[in-house]
This record gives sequence, structure tokens and C-alpha cells, in this order.
Amino acid sequence: MSIYFQDIRAYSFFWKPEKGSQRIRCRRLTSASLILSSLWLLCGPLSAADPGSPPTLDGAAIFQAKCAQCHGAAGEGTKDYPISLTGDKSIHELAKVIDETMPEGEPELVSREESEALAAYIHDAFYSPIAQARIKPATVEFSRLTVRQFENSVSDLLLSFRGRQSNSTEQGLKAEYYNLRSFNKNKRVIERIDPIVDFSFGAEKPEGFPTEPDMEKRRSDDIHDNLEFSIRWQGQIFIPETGDYEFIVESENGVRLFVNDPRKPLCDAWVSSGSDTIHRNQIHLLGGRRYQIRLEFFRYKQKTASIKLKWKRPQHVEELIPTRFLFTDRTPEQFVLTTPFPPDDRSVGYERATSVSKGWQDAVVQASLETADYVVDRLNSLAGIGDKNSPEERTQKIRQFCKKFVERAYRKTLSPDEIKMFVETPLADVPSETGVKRVVLLTLMSPEFLYREHGRNQFDDAAMASWLAFTLWDSLPDDQLLEAARKNELRTREQVTRQVDRMLQDPRTRDKLNQFFTQWLRLDRMPEIVKSQELFPDFNARIVSDLRDSLELFLNELLESPEADFRRLFLDDSLYVNGRLSQFYGGELAADAPFEKISFKEKARSGVLTHPLLLAGFAYDQESSPIHRGVFIARSLLGRRLKPPPEAVAPLAPDLHADLTTRARVLLQTSADACRTCHYMINDLGFSLEHFDATGRYRELDKDHPVDAHGVYLNRAGVEVSFAGSEEISEFLVAAPEVHEAFVEQLFQFTIRQPIRAFGPDELTLLAEHFRSHQFNIHGLLKEITVDSAMKMKSIEEESLRTAGNSAEKTEK
Amino acid sequence: MTQTTTRRDFLRHLGISAAAFPFICNLPSLGFESSQARKQRLIILFSPNGVVRKNFWPNEAGELNEFKEILKPLEPFRDRTLVLNGVCDKIRGDGDNHMRGMGCLLTGIELFPGNIQGGSDTPAGWASGISIDQEIKNFLQSQPETQTRFGSLEFGVVVPERADTWTRMVYSGPNRPIAPIDNPYQMFRKLYGGVKDQESLKSVLDIVSADLKKVESMVSAEDQKLLLEHASFVRQMEQEITAAQKNPMTHAIPQLDPGVVVANDNLPQLARMQIDLMVNSLVSDFARVATLQFTHSVGQARMKWLEIDETHHTLSHEPNSNEDAQTKLTKINQWYCEQLAYLVQKLADTPEPGGQGSLLDNTTVVWTNELGEGNSHTLNNIPFVLIGNGLNFKMGQSLKLGSVPHNRLLMSFAHAMGHHIPHFGNASFCELGPLNLG
Repeated sequence: MSIYFQDIRAYSFFWKPEKGSQRIRCRRLTSASLILSSLWLLCGPLSAADPGSPPTLDGAAIFQAKCAQCHGAAGEGTKDYPISLTGDKSIHELAKVIDETMPEGEPELVSREESEALAAYIHDAFYSPIAQARIKPATVEFSRLTVRQFENSVSDLLLSFRGRQSNSTEQGLKAEYYNLRSFNKNKRVIERIDPIVDFSFGAEKPEGFPTEPDMEKRRSDDIHDNLEFSIRWQGQIFIPETGDYEFIVESENGVRLFVNDPRKPLCDAWVSSGSDTIHRNQIHLLGGRRYQIRLEFFRYKQKTASIKLKWKRPQHVEELIPTRFLFTDRTPEQFVLTTPFPPDDRSVGYERATSVSKGWQDAVVQASLETADYVVDRLNSLAGIGDKNSPEERTQKIRQFCKKFVERAYRKTLSPDEIKMFVETPLADVPSETGVKRVVLLTLMSPEFLYREHGRNQFDDAAMASWLAFTLWDSLPDDQLLEAARKNELRTREQVTRQVDRMLQDPRTRDKLNQFFTQWLRLDRMPEIVKSQELFPDFNARIVSDLRDSLELFLNELLESPEADFRRLFLDDSLYVNGRLSQFYGGELAADAPFEKISFKEKARSGVLTHPLLLAGFAYDQESSPIHRGVFIARSLLGRRLKPPPEAVAPLAPDLHADLTTRARVLLQTSADACRTCHYMINDLGFSLEHFDATGRYRELDKDHPVDAHGVYLNRAGVEVSFAGSEEISEFLVAAPEVHEAFVEQLFQFTIRQPIRAFGPDELTLLAEHFRSHQFNIHGLLKEITVDSAMKMKSIEEESLRTAGNSAEKTEK
Repeated sequence: MTQTTTRRDFLRHLGISAAAFPFICNLPSLGFESSQARKQRLIILFSPNGVVRKNFWPNEAGELNEFKEILKPLEPFRDRTLVLNGVCDKIRGDGDNHMRGMGCLLTGIELFPGNIQGGSDTPAGWASGISIDQEIKNFLQSQPETQTRFGSLEFGVVVPERADTWTRMVYSGPNRPIAPIDNPYQMFRKLYGGVKDQESLKSVLDIVSADLKKVESMVSAEDQKLLLEHASFVRQMEQEITAAQKNPMTHAIPQLDPGVVVANDNLPQLARMQIDLMVNSLVSDFARVATLQFTHSVGQARMKWLEIDETHHTLSHEPNSNEDAQTKLTKINQWYCEQLAYLVQKLADTPEPGGQGSLLDNTTVVWTNELGEGNSHTLNNIPFVLIGNGLNFKMGQSLKLGSVPHNRLLMSFAHAMGHHIPHFGNASFCELGPLNLG
């Protein structure tokens, strides 16, 4: 772990890199900081300074005297050495390098102490990534598609040839019951909607079947069993988040489950054989989409009959597929890539795709091959070729398909030259299957597909359509957007807003918002939640799974409401609990009750901050962790940039301090001066939640002492705010302007994947103002972010085109 | 032609980095052999619905002097053929004779009780044990001298999509049927997938590079770096593919006729394509065990090319007194025998790579069936016709073995390959050990 020179934010300032003003607003070099700086250097083998030693050398002066000649006055480089002095070494590492190797050829010219001073200076002035972010103004970065965008785009691209996805709201699966083991239309006895597939027929036929054996043989020599019957369920399954899903069918009878692929069953246990009654298989699916699902079942000469359809969602336990994920309508087959990609860079807090690697390039090629094989295999249905088509018609349709494929992938109208290059050339002189394969390969490997439009000095209507689609859906623009672009109807703010209003209704927008909340609430970084079985014997993986559902239900309700009021995230005092959760957290529901919204006001619940999933996630297996909770509040909610601790400190073992409350122990652990600078702030935020134990359950006592949940926070305006307990801190947070801005900034950067300051130094404040004055409507905020960034992109590109034109005249290529 | 000895040398010789390996690992191996012992191969060919006995079985035991009508296509290979009469499928238990004929044929063990109802008897599930080809494959793969890329390959010709006891004869274990691949393009992809991909890739990389240059010209100097890096990876890939293609193969990659749909009417063409692929895969030493399944148990091939409009299984139910049916069935069986002969001829005409003689010298092809006879559904006298010298049996013979359980024959196959199993399938049928055919 690197050790950074830490700016002292001992009091007041909330530091952000400002475009233009490169320096921190107020850095106070007190003697304390100098002592601290030498303390940090203590951690490495090089330094041996003891605390309390007199102030050290002036790194800046030494740099100008001994280094600037080669490295440039601000490390930018010179003609002799035209490489800028930047990187991510720690101060300690830098000092070592300087001491041992610099100045080049004559390292003895700089002493060890001077090396240390130099390292400290350059690290903060321009060397470190943070310093660089400070110096260089934020810009909209040229980028490729992120991995998720690639996967979504390819899937949606192929779906566009298959017709629309239906989003009907009728829940459950369409069920057809047959009085014979074949699915014989004449023998269809019941048609209805089953909300869930969980049946035990025992030794009987299903309810509602005719009682007399109504056995008309299929063929003259067919054999029957009076109790035989078959059932088919079909419909759609909604996938809430991208990931690997395990589907499980439990039955002693013959069953076949199809998910997405109607030809090849995911689970094929049609032949019952031996004692295997649990059949499972895994499949990768994309979030925000509905996939076709079909389950077939028959019973023949077997003692009993039963069937359960279950799944295991990512990070959940196995369960019967709940009704809320099942719909009765049909949906076309979709393509989901299985090629693994190297993950995108997330070091700046959002998934960013501004670099390439060999691993990524290889994955692109593999994915393109995978897609090409699929397209060739399904060519007839994708290109609309029927048996009656003549060979000429077939060739025509193939060419048309290819042209549309390229146009949609490149999200623009193709020029005649482009048609020649990307469609006609690959199709020429080879059999059609080979030609189509080449078109697909070429298209998906081309920069026209792989790179986003901005940064090419031509933010035209097509680029606008793309911008909107990738912002809200992380995918290609649909036909309506492309059409609007073609008709020049994406020019004005009103036109753009109209499209965005439509796009907000698409389930993919909701999927992206869900992803944002997962990141904002740090759910993606939580390790597996396991608690001490002695202290919490009833807390298990199933409870954790239920808690995830509970939070999901809350967020769904919030986002489904047209108001989508952000403040509810802090002020809602109710929880969704089912029977199991009610047993553990209260609520007096029956043990097997389904999810219900219950008020927990007396138990001090207040919004997501007090949702047991977060409280338990930010805790140890026995104790709560005010530090983790405090860091969460500081980073996600208040938008503070916390550096890693200067020293890696193991938490104090609770049993070694058995009589201390958690609060007391944490205070003890973070009492060193080096820790206090951040922890005085972090701790208090976390202490406010001390009424909730390691499982997120409310408590009055901690180790027989009454819980002390009070704390203070010095806000941005310089006022020390105090709060006692979760409700008070939530009230403070919901009203704090820095919290609004932190939310806006994080949502902006998550959806746009660009630094917000690249869109203007006031962009954040303007958006936050808009958010506040529109009742904190999250949908409204998302809309404003999308429309505003889109309109600003136009002017940014026009501006940079102008400056590029100016500078091109001055410099030579 | 030189032969490299190890896979790593092979890669070094091509100058290909590990990153390109995914593209070239589907190239044929160049016969990585280190032992001097000859290769031994076993191929099992299956056709359904029994045979017309009077036109099939040689009259006498002893030296094979003459073939009846059905086996006539094997005339050129009479001295290398072994016809076994009296080998019976004695497995009983659940399932009707077709199901047991198919499911117990290579496994020699009962089917599980289950829910799939045949034309009679109790319903059944899958076979409760491994099939002999997989047993032998596991043995061969367990020894470095006989290891091959796949161990075994399962081919099919017009096999229905459904998985049930009638469509599967190969099992890797109890309840673990293995599906034959009846689509030659799919089989080709399995064997040579990477190669065809390379050609397509190569043809588009030029255009990708050109396109990258075009976009480069539109972006700022800073952003160009990203594109240049990307372009360098593309170039690298181009070089890797070119290098891979330059490497001389010791044998050609088969060319498939495009656009042949897997359907009844294309049975003859598909049979040829599959047999060609099979022989090719043996030359490449991708496997030493292979099976080829024509249709399935109760298969309903409609051999219009023989001017037979009725379907096979339906015909096979006609009584022996129906002369017309008997003639047609004889023609059908003879046609299957012709496919067998085509395979055997190819093996005879192909030199053994890195060795002496032809592939046929080191391969034994077994033609078998699920039933002894279609209308009676008898499981006695299952047709077993062996051709080739892969197993060190005494060929050019017709044997009448009385009534021996076919488990013993399956054991003989294993023993002849060096795998001396004490029993196979249902052990109670193995007490007398393998048949002595050497």
C-alpha cells in the first residue's frame, strides 16, 4: 500500500480539484504536519527521523537547483528528457530512487535527507495521480465501449432483428395441463396462470382433471397409464442484474427447462433415470431484460409426481422463482456473450474505458467470433429468409441484413464508400455463410463500433443519439433514436428531452440505476456477510438473501414512484420484511409470511443508512464497525475523499478489551495522532449508528452499557453539527448541500463515465440546484444529467474543433 | 517431412506467443508419438432395426468363402473380415427390446427403471453403466503413449435432436449418455474450428487497420495514442496468423461442401462427409476410438435414393413372409454395408502416418445392430461384423459361437487393446471371460 503525503484537513476544508485553480484551497503546514510527515517516512527502511526533529529541507528549492534542468521546472520534461515526471510510486519509493540514482550519473550529489525532501515535494506538486488531476483540467476523455457496453450492444443489436420485447405486466407463467403424457392439443384440460411452480401431486392427478380415465390412445398400439399427465409452463423471466444464474428443477418425473434458447434445453431430465431428482445448470444473462422460459413436465408410471422451479441469483440463496420475476407474455430469443473480458478500470470511482490491452483485444476477437458463429447459425431467422425464397432473394436479404447490421452497430447512416468497405467487400466471392461471418467479425472489431463518438470533433446527430443511449442504457441507440437523428430531430433541448422521456421508461434505464445504487451503497464491495454463530445463531445466508430482497423491494418502490424522492432514502422509517426477517428484526409477521412493508419507527430506522443489510455488511462477525460505517457515510454520502490510512493498523481484538464498548474500543484504536486527522471525523459518523449491532438489529445496550450514539461533524460551511442516533444524522444528511452534490456527482460520473468538471466548473452546482428545486426527483435528476451533458457535449466539441483549428495553424504535424 | 516431437516445440517452431494459442490450438497435432508400438484403433458403426437373416449370415462356420447379398460390398476385404454369429444381448430388465437393444449394446448392463415407455414392457431410463468405447478410451487416455487430443469421437448421421434411450448408445458412465454429433460442420468446428476462423480474421484485419487509421486522423494527438496501441495489437495478431498459416501441415484440412442440411434426403452425402471427417481425424491422431451412429434405434430412414419410399422401422415390422419388405430391407442393409465398405476402403487406401502399411492394418471396424431381427425384436444373434487388423483377431473367418453373452465380446475388444478388465457391464455374464478370437 502506498503512503501518500497527506494534506492536513485538520479542520474545515473540503478539498476538490478545481479546474483552473490548481491548488488546494487551504493547506496549513503546521508543525504537526511536519512531524506527521516524518512519522510517515518512518514506515520505510530508509528514514530514521524521530518525532520532534527540527523542520527538514526545502524540497522545492532543491528541485529547482538540482533537478529542474533535466526534468523541467514543474516536472514536465525538457528537450533532453521529454518525459513528464509522473507516476504512482509512493514517497518512500521515490525517495529511494532519487537517493540511489539521481541526478543521473551522479547520485552522490543528493543526500538521503535531500532525497526524502525532494520526494515529498514532487509527489505532492506534480508527480502523483492526484497532483496530476489537480494540474490538468478535466476533459471529456476519448473512450472505447466498456465491457458491459460491448455485451449489451451485441445482445441488443441482434435482438433488433427479432422484434420488440413485450413488457406486459401480467405476472406468473401460462400453464397448460394435458391429460396425456404428450402435449396433445385434444387432451388439454386446463389452461391457467400459475404464479409459482411448486406442486406436489402425490399419487393423484392435478385438481380439475376429469375423474374417469379418459384415455383415447394416440396410436393403435400405444400404452398408457391412467395417472399420466403432462404440463407446460411458458412465459418470460425478468433478470434483475447481469450475472450468472443457476436454474434448478426438482422433480422425480420427466422435466425439461428452456431458458432463452428454445431449441436446446438448459436442464434436460426428460428421461427419469436412477435417483437423480435435482437438475441444475447455469447460464449468463443480462440485467434489465426478460428472457423466454419454458418448462415441460410429464408423469408416467411413477409412484409420485411433483415439481419445483427454483433459481439461485447472484449473491442469493436458492429459492423458488418468485412471482414478481415471471410474466406470461412471449419474448424472442436473445444472444448473450459468454466470452470473458478483462475488467475495466475502476480506479477513479466509475467504470472507465480509456485504455486498451492485448487481453482486451483478444477478448474482442473471441467475442466477435462467438457472435459471428451465432449469426451464421441463426441467419435465416435473423435475415427473414423463408423456405420459399429463391436464391436471388436469399442473397438480397443477406445483403440487406448485413447492411442493417453494420448501420445499427456503427449507429449511423453508411456512406456508399462505407457500404462498399464494410458490406460488399467481405461478402464478395465467398459463400454467403463465410461472407456473413466476415461482416460480423469486421463490424465488431472496427473502431467505428468499439469507440465512442465524442472526441472526434464531430458531435453530429448520430453522435447525439449514441450519447443518449450509452448514458441511459449502456447500449446502442434503438431505431427510434436513429430515426430521430436521421430526421435532424435531435438538435434542440426540447427534442432531446422528448427522447430522454421516452428512454426513461425502458427497463434498461432502471437496470442502470440499480447498478448505480449497488455501487453507491457499496453493496458490490461488501464481502460475504457471515456472523458469529454463537452470538447470532439465527443469522444465516438465507437471512442475508432476504435482506438483499428487502433492500431491492424498497429501491424498486422508490424508483417506480413518479416522485422518486431522494429524501426517502434517508427518511423512510419502514422496512420490507418477510416472515423470516420479522422473526429476527421484529414486525410480528407469521413465520412463512411473504414480504410486506412494515414501519419501524420505534426502532429508529431511517432510510438506507439503517437498513440491516448495510449495517450488517459494514460490521465484523461479532461487533459492529463504526469505522466501516463512518467511511461509507463519509465517502458515499458526504463525498469526502479519504486517503488510505498512513499505517496499516489491525483492529483491536474485542476480547482483549472485553469490558470496553465498541465505541470506547474504536476510540482507543484510533487515538494516535496520525490517525486522528481522519478518524475524528469518520468515527463520529459511525458512532451515530451504534444502536445497531453486527446484524443490524436495534439495541439499547452494548456490553451492558447504554449505547452512546452521539457525534459531531464539521460541515462544509464550517459549522459543527451534532447528532445523536440514526434519525438525527439522517436528518442532517438529507438537508446537507454537500450530500446533494455528492449524490449528483456520483450519479453523473456513473452514468456518463466522464469527470463532471469536464462539463463546466459550475455543472455540479447547477445540477444540484436543479435537483433541490425539483423535489429531489431522482428520475428528474437523471433526465437533467442526460440532457444537459448531451447539449454541453455539442458545444464542447465545437469549441475544441475551433481551438484545434487555431493551434493546427501554429504547430506543425 | 519433419515431425516435431512436442507441442511446445511445435509452438516455438511457429513463433507464436501464448496469446495466440487460443487460435491455433485447434490445429491438427503432428503426430506426437514417442513409443514404437503400433497404434490400435476401434471404430463401431451402428445401424438399426435388425437384419434380414437369410441374406446376411454365412451358412457355414470356418473360412469365409463367400458373402450373402447384404455383405457383398465387403467382398474386397473378405480376408480381413470376421463374422460372428451367436453373440446375444442377454441383458433383461426395464425397457422394451429396442431400448435395451440400443442402451445395452455397448454397455452390457441393464437400463435404470424410468419414465420412458417403449412399445412394450416397463418404462426405463438410461443405461446404468459406461459403454465399452468409453471404457477403452479412458484406458488409452490414461497412458501417455496412447493419449490423443480427444480420446474418442462420436459421429452420427441424421440423429433426432431429442435425448432419450433410443438416440444414445454411448455412455461415459451410468446416466451419462454422450450425444453423437451429426452435423458435419459442427464436427469440423470441433476438430478444426480455429483454422477457418483464422482465414476469416485475416481477411478482415486489413480493413480494421485501415479503419483505425481513419479514426486516428479525426482525434486529438493525445487520443491517437490509444488508437495506435490498439492498431499495434491488430498488427500483432495479423503476424501471428500469418506465421501459423505458413507452417506446413503434414496432412490437409478437409474441405466440406457448404450448405448441406442435416435431413433424411441428404443421408448419403452426410454419411460421406462424416466418414471423411472420421478418417481425417484418425490420420491426425485426434482419437483412437470412434463411433458412427446411423439414425437411431427404431430409425426411420426413408431411402428414396434406393427407390424405397417406406421408412425403415415400419418396414422392419413386416413379417418374413412379405417378400417385398424383405427385398427392401435387404437393400437398406446392403446400403448401410456400402457405407461401411466406403469407410473400410478409405482406411485401406490411407497410409499409416509415421508407420507401416495402411490405417486399416491398425484399425478394426465393428458393424453392429440393436436387434437380431426387426419384426421379432430378438436380441439373439446380434449382427457383429469385424473388418481390419487393429485387434490382432484371426480374420477371414465366420464363427458360430452358439449363444454367448455379448459382454464377453465387449471384453474381447478391451483385452485386445491391452486393457485386461476382469468383467464388463453385468458381471454375471462375464464368468467365462473374453471370447478367444485371436
